[in-house]
Amino acid sequence: MLPPVEGEEEQLRIFLAESLELWRVSGIVRAGNTPVIAEISAANGALVWVERAAGDTPFRWLARWRGAGSAPGGVRELRPRACASLVGLLGAVRDALSVERGSALRIVPAPQQT
Amino acid sequence: MIPVSIITGFLGSGKTTLLARLMRDPAMGRTAVIINEFGAIALDHDLIETSDESFIQLSNGCLCCNVRSDLTLTLGDLAARRAQGTVPPFERVVIETSGLADPAPILHALMTDRDLIGVYALDGVITTVDALTGMATLDNHEESRRQAAVSDRIVLTKTDLAGAPTDTLKERLAAFNPGAPVMAAVRGAIAPSVLFNCGFYDVDGKHPDVGAWLAHESVDAAGGPVYRPHPPQRSLHQHSEDITSFCIVRDEPLHAATLPLLLSALAENCGADLLRMKGIVRVLEVPERPAVIHGVQHVYHAPVWLPRWPSADRRTRMVFIGRNIRESWVLTLIELLDAEVAAETAKRTLEVAPPLFKMVTRSHI
Repeated sequence: MLPPVEGEEEQLRIFLAESLELWRVSGIVRAGNTPVIAEISAANGALVWVERAAGDTPFRWLARWRGAGSAPGGVRELRPRACASLVGLLGAVRDALSVERGSALRIVPAPQQT
Repeated sequence: MIPVSIITGFLGSGKTTLLARLMRDPAMGRTAVIINEFGAIALDHDLIETSDESFIQLSNGCLCCNVRSDLTLTLGDLAARRAQGTVPPFERVVIETSGLADPAPILHALMTDRDLIGVYALDGVITTVDALTGMATLDNHEESRRQAAVSDRIVLTKTDLAGAPTDTLKERLAAFNPGAPVMAAVRGAIAPSVLFNCGFYDVDGKHPDVGAWLAHESVDAAGGPVYRPHPPQRSLHQHSEDITSFCIVRDEPLHAATLPLLLSALAENCGADLLRMKGIVRVLEVPERPAVIHGVQHVYHAPVWLPRWPSADRRTRMVFIGRNIRESWVLTLIELLDAEVAAETAKRTLEVAPPLFKMVTRSHI
């Protein structure tokens, strides 16, 4: 695993907090107990834990969560979702918080320059 | 490719007056006109002098709500008739939307419909704003704000009427779309040359004026400090409007693989809040050829690779117009994604490099 850049984890937490704002979700993001680098507590009670994946795996992030109103120890709390990139991590957090958001990217042909 | 321009603007803001005046200009001679009226009785047709063959009126509802069934069929049919020679060989299409239309679905249709791609190219969006009532309209109607936000040109109408607060209105329009020049047209009088050919696609096959299309200097000037990664600085500038614009300038090139990740993240996380995004990107792997990107909500054109930089400025510049999207969020997203791609690239380089002892062994064979 590549060593974390100084301040990178705090940068991620700020980014996740701004993501909540973007999705219009009330909640807070704080540092968790190792290995959790970000713990998201949504106002509706949902909890998300973000960890860095081990370097010998093809993933960069792991996300575990407990949905709003769910009892502790659920499947998603015990078995993390592995994410290959930040895009996947954001998707996992949106799922955890039940955020209905956006659409899949659609790429269309550009006008041809003659 | 036939350029398509969209004239939009709130109810009574002077779209038809502008179009009628434009159509009397000899420069607009080979133009097909599509007008969408919301009311049961269509009147605009009678106000515009053009040939009946190249004039189409859509009066069965709002164009943006019926865009797939109406506009795409109409444009497809028009192109077919042009090819058959049953309509004059028009060289441009102008679509006038209804006053309550959201231009975004129309832009989507022009960018995505398989029957239209390859035949038509979006030139730009021209938005009329009533100088007298524009402030109140912007206050009270989301449709009006969206129309102004996605525009490439804003035309202030009725500026000759007493009491029109044009300075304040111009400032307000510039606050959420500083890249769009604001110009005045009294009773629709304005030269077509300043309204059309404003896209990055150039009809004449010349090198497109990407700088003018991007207009990032205007966004910089209006949007406060521009973020550059080194030294880090964050702009928390936000306009008082719900719609904001900002420009991101990066000296360092982006990895090619960062681009699709960035576009995915924007589409999935910003959704309809990202009204429009356009940019010119310096890519690490091909620094001599900039990539031009353009998107409306979650729909993006495939990047267009220019043969060379249009000016001495070789920085990445991206303009964002949206609602509730923080500049700092986009900045961090770009930075983190590019760092991920850089790390992955470094990891793969290490994995594919042959072990040293094998190279030594081979050298002895």
